[in-house]
Amino acid sequence: MPAIYTPEWYESVKEAINAKVATVKDVPEGAWTVAVEIAGDGVSPYVADGDERRFLIRIERGQCEWYREIDGEPDVELDYRFRGPATVFDEIAAGLADPIDAALHGTVRVRGDMRFLMRQAELVQVLLEAYTAGVETTWPEGQPPYSADQGPSGPLSGEREALSA
Amino acid sequence: MATPTYDAIVIGAGHNGLCLAAYLQRSGLRTLIVERRHEEGGGANTEEPVLAGYRHNMHAQYMEFFDVMPMIQDFGLEDLGLRTVMPEAQAGITFADGRPPVVLHRPDLLEATYTSIARYSKADAELYVELKQRAMKLEELLAVGLYNPPGAVPNAGSPEGVAMMLEGVFGDLGVAGHFVAKSPKMVIDELFETPELRALLYRTCVEWGFPIDSTGTGGAFFTFIMWTMANWKLAIGGTHTLAKAMTQACYREGVDLLENSQVERIIVEDGRAVGVVARGTEYRAERAVASNADLRQTLLDLVGADHLSPLWVKRAKAYRYGPSHVLGTPMFCLYEAPAYRSAKWDPDIDRCFYTMVGFDGPDDTARYIRDAYSGTLPKPAAGTWVNSLWDRSQAPPDRHAATGWYFLPCASELTAAEWEDVRRTYNERFLATWREFAPNMTADNVIAHKLYTPDQMERKNLMREGDFSNGEFAPDQMGPNRPFPEASNYRTEVEGLYLCGPSAYPGGGVHAACGYNAFKAIAEDLGLPSPIPADRSY
Amino acid sequence: MRERYDAIIIGAGHNGLTLGAYLARSGLDVVVLERRHEEGGGLCTEEITRPGFLHNLHANYHTFVDMAPPVADLDVRGHGVEYVRPEVQMASIFDDGTALTVHTDLDKTCESVARFSEEDAETFRRLYGEAHGFVDLLLGTLMYQPPLSVKELTKALATFGVEDKSEFLSVKLRRETINQFLDQHFTHPKVKAHLAFHGAVCSYTNDVPGLAIGFPLLVGKIDNWHLCLGGSHRLAHALWRDLAQHGGVMISDAEVERILVDGNGSTRRAVGVRLADGTEIEATQLVASTVSVEQTFLEFVDASVTGEDFAHKVKTEVKHKDWSLFSVHLAMNRLPEYEAAAFDPDVNRAWVVNLGYGSPEDLNADWADVRAGRLPDPRPNAAVNSLYDPTDAPEGCFTGLLRQFAPFALADGGEGAWDDLGRWYGHKCIEAWRSFAPNLTDDAFLEWSVFTPHDIATKLPNMVRGDWMMGEISLDNMLDERPLPELGQYRTPVNRLYMAGSTQHPHGFITFGPGYNALQVIAEDLGLERWWRKI
Repeated sequence: MPAIYTPEWYESVKEAINAKVATVKDVPEGAWTVAVEIAGDGVSPYVADGDERRFLIRIERGQCEWYREIDGEPDVELDYRFRGPATVFDEIAAGLADPIDAALHGTVRVRGDMRFLMRQAELVQVLLEAYTAGVETTWPEGQPPYSADQGPSGPLSGEREALSA
Repeated sequence: MATPTYDAIVIGAGHNGLCLAAYLQRSGLRTLIVERRHEEGGGANTEEPVLAGYRHNMHAQYMEFFDVMPMIQDFGLEDLGLRTVMPEAQAGITFADGRPPVVLHRPDLLEATYTSIARYSKADAELYVELKQRAMKLEELLAVGLYNPPGAVPNAGSPEGVAMMLEGVFGDLGVAGHFVAKSPKMVIDELFETPELRALLYRTCVEWGFPIDSTGTGGAFFTFIMWTMANWKLAIGGTHTLAKAMTQACYREGVDLLENSQVERIIVEDGRAVGVVARGTEYRAERAVASNADLRQTLLDLVGADHLSPLWVKRAKAYRYGPSHVLGTPMFCLYEAPAYRSAKWDPDIDRCFYTMVGFDGPDDTARYIRDAYSGTLPKPAAGTWVNSLWDRSQAPPDRHAATGWYFLPCASELTAAEWEDVRRTYNERFLATWREFAPNMTADNVIAHKLYTPDQMERKNLMREGDFSNGEFAPDQMGPNRPFPEASNYRTEVEGLYLCGPSAYPGGGVHAACGYNAFKAIAEDLGLPSPIPADRSY
Repeated sequence: MRERYDAIIIGAGHNGLTLGAYLARSGLDVVVLERRHEEGGGLCTEEITRPGFLHNLHANYHTFVDMAPPVADLDVRGHGVEYVRPEVQMASIFDDGTALTVHTDLDKTCESVARFSEEDAETFRRLYGEAHGFVDLLLGTLMYQPPLSVKELTKALATFGVEDKSEFLSVKLRRETINQFLDQHFTHPKVKAHLAFHGAVCSYTNDVPGLAIGFPLLVGKIDNWHLCLGGSHRLAHALWRDLAQHGGVMISDAEVERILVDGNGSTRRAVGVRLADGTEIEATQLVASTVSVEQTFLEFVDASVTGEDFAHKVKTEVKHKDWSLFSVHLAMNRLPEYEAAAFDPDVNRAWVVNLGYGSPEDLNADWADVRAGRLPDPRPNAAVNSLYDPTDAPEGCFTGLLRQFAPFALADGGEGAWDDLGRWYGHKCIEAWRSFAPNLTDDAFLEWSVFTPHDIATKLPNMVRGDWMMGEISLDNMLDERPLPELGQYRTPVNRLYMAGSTQHPHGFITFGPGYNALQVIAEDLGLERWWRKI
């Protein structure tokens, strides 16, 4: 039961992804580097307000080859970038929010070859499932949803607006 | 935001401003052009204002300086889209009674010109051809005169000097030094006996800004009119193609061109021009400001009397616009090109680049000109072009676009309501006349038409009074006197402020000499490296 | 003119210039050849009434500003383009004197809608919120990429379970009309009328099955309508300037007559063009056409090259819009004062005003007339650019633009009939305007000119049959099916000949999409470094 955003947690996510992908047929050739940018929004306790947590994931033939946290702009060429408020990412990791939903509504912004993502919808779906439900995560600083009366990804439109501006 | 700062700012993207800016940038100055309109080119404009697909040159029509214009060579404008046609039959006059036309052909087809004039007079034909041949030999000299500040050709600036030259070059043809003191009409009347030819020459003189009755300009008939006569090119796509190629040259050099931004003020600090304010924004110029706008606008409106000496204010106020070279541009969309009665003698009149319509001889031509000059609306007549005969891009398939020039009174001679009336009725009156000369010009043949009048030109291109030359061509405003002696070398009494438009020598016309020469003055003052080839004498 | 370039682009509309500028920035030696004397294609601003009055003869509305990558990549603003986003974007004025206004401020728009139906106002807010959220995703997925197929798209949407996650987006929209969509979600006919009208102005005809699929995207940018100060043509200048500053050349009055092809069968390759004046220009890398499919494959390329079957397809299967636009351009000495201002004063500040469509059925009835070649009783829309552009008319004066949905060819007399009817119909459009703004008496107009569907085709023959979208907007003519399956990915039956104009996905309008997307394909084929790719 690794704690969120710790090396053990990343390792578990990697394993979960790879285990899931192994069951998929027709995994596309090629490799992709994805940046995930989690922006502190003053609500999530895991990223300080105004700070960012960034990590890179390298996917090759569907498998997660490596991952690492980075400071500042990535030093490698990216294929995709996912960016959104920490609370939403926390909720996604906790299986409370749907990543497709977040992307669809612009809460998580996606940059990169969308055509490929659409064509590989099945694989993408598998990867997301591994991310959202593949790991049992512990939440040492408190678990989302962060306020009982706030439903998942509900009250943050202000911050989201600011992030997307 | 930091104030945008350049080395040089050019006011006005007319062809002179474009020319100056291209050379400045090539000499290493970061240059900005600020243009009031949404289009570059000033008077070098071609539009479709009547019907879609029918092009009309709103101002400048025929191009005579392309062979000598430095910018065309120096910036490879032919690689940037400038292409031309030179119709064989160039200038013609046609008659309602169907008598033979006079058709002047290209300089390389003088035999055809001879044949045409000789229908009326062998003597005139011989003399015209001889004068033309000699005038063509003056081309290099003319280029040196044009593309240098006034005074580059020895003696050309004084009547005595011109008189000597006339006697030297044309003396054996009966041209004597005293012709300098004559008016163009006196010169033409003395030289040629054919009324039809005289009428044609009268009008061409005026189109080139030389009023037929203006004494003291007779020399220009030989040095300039006879050279330019029937030496005209058509820019493929319209005159605006030149402006386009020039603009593209500017872009490629790195010039910034800001359109849609009227300059409200030239900023003068400690007696020095340091920038402009355009549409509320300040732009700084660290080395030079050059104005392509007309003289009074530049000095009185943009600089302001506060920054000028009383003498310069007086001179600017005394500068005159019109009445010569005030033109109206009628535009016609046609099914068929006009087929003239006179064509039975010489079919070339139907394929003539420039055709005079509505005149019978020298008397009514002179009256026409004098009427326009004195503020009276003349009986309609015109010089006409049907450019679609040579350039199919200028009209839809199987259709023709015709454009003309009327001589009209200065913009201020008529009230707004009167101009409104002219726009509504004058073309129809001209069409009635045109029909007498070319019976196929029936109402059915004219799909649509429109008239563009001097008051509109004044507004559109800030050509005061609708004066194409931006200042009357009269001896006191020509040559070293343009716009006035103290300002004749492109410099002004405001340090760092230069004139680069047609208010400067040599004046209006599509030659780009005002901009080119202003560059020379600026380059000299700033010690710029010259991009001008050293082996060219201009 | 020079004899050889790396790349020849046919047509200096915004797509041709955009593609040219990217290629020039990539180091290619580029020439863009334009038939007209002016660059810009639909970005065409002319003084057709009087000097000083700037009239946009085609593109007036720039709705993809800051969504289309080229705006930033090519530094369009740095080249002098100034965009204004009018506060009151649009209005509908109805026969009963009421009016609905769309603002850049969503709350104000919802307040205006609520005056007709509070429920609709809430629905609109949700639809806008959802649509605005996925605009980014959809633009990235759908517009600024070479297209997916409808099948791929549907499959992906199903895999992602979009239907369950969205209130408004659904796979079944691909069978539905905008009218159906509106009926499902909205209640008040006037609210529906305005939304249907907005779709129609974007060429999404409200009664065409399948177009509902694109409708939420339209709503997502319902308040992103921008005006280009000093006329739309300034954007053409900016793109041209970018091209030229990076070493490219635009040649006007260069009408292409032939695309020169070497080799045969699968090795045939475009190697240059011949102009109408006989000049031949060689292209060492590629030729891209941004004009119509018909011009490209029936005039420029001989049918023997592509095969008779393909030529036949071009002749018979390329689909064009079944309606065009009739425009009246006016030079005015006053602004319209609408009677409906008593109901909502903001109508007097609305940039674009729908005059009188009070329900989607009103629009349906006009489409029926238009498709039958009849002229509807005009219900034009009126745009007064001068409200937001102080530079487009002399001081104290204003420009006006009336646009009426109209047939290209009239049942009686074909398209040629426009030459006689134009002025008369223009009068009727002005009268229709006056009926809503009585201060627009005859003396309010210094001059006015009409620009008929026939004029569109004469001026810009790439807009075949006055088709200002350069291809029908319908589900059959979308994505990789546009304009034909063989051409859907910007490549053509001839190697190194590309289609890069509005005939291609996404469509006409100032989207920059076709040129930008063709660039991606060309970059792949030529192995260009994609410096513009920003992730």
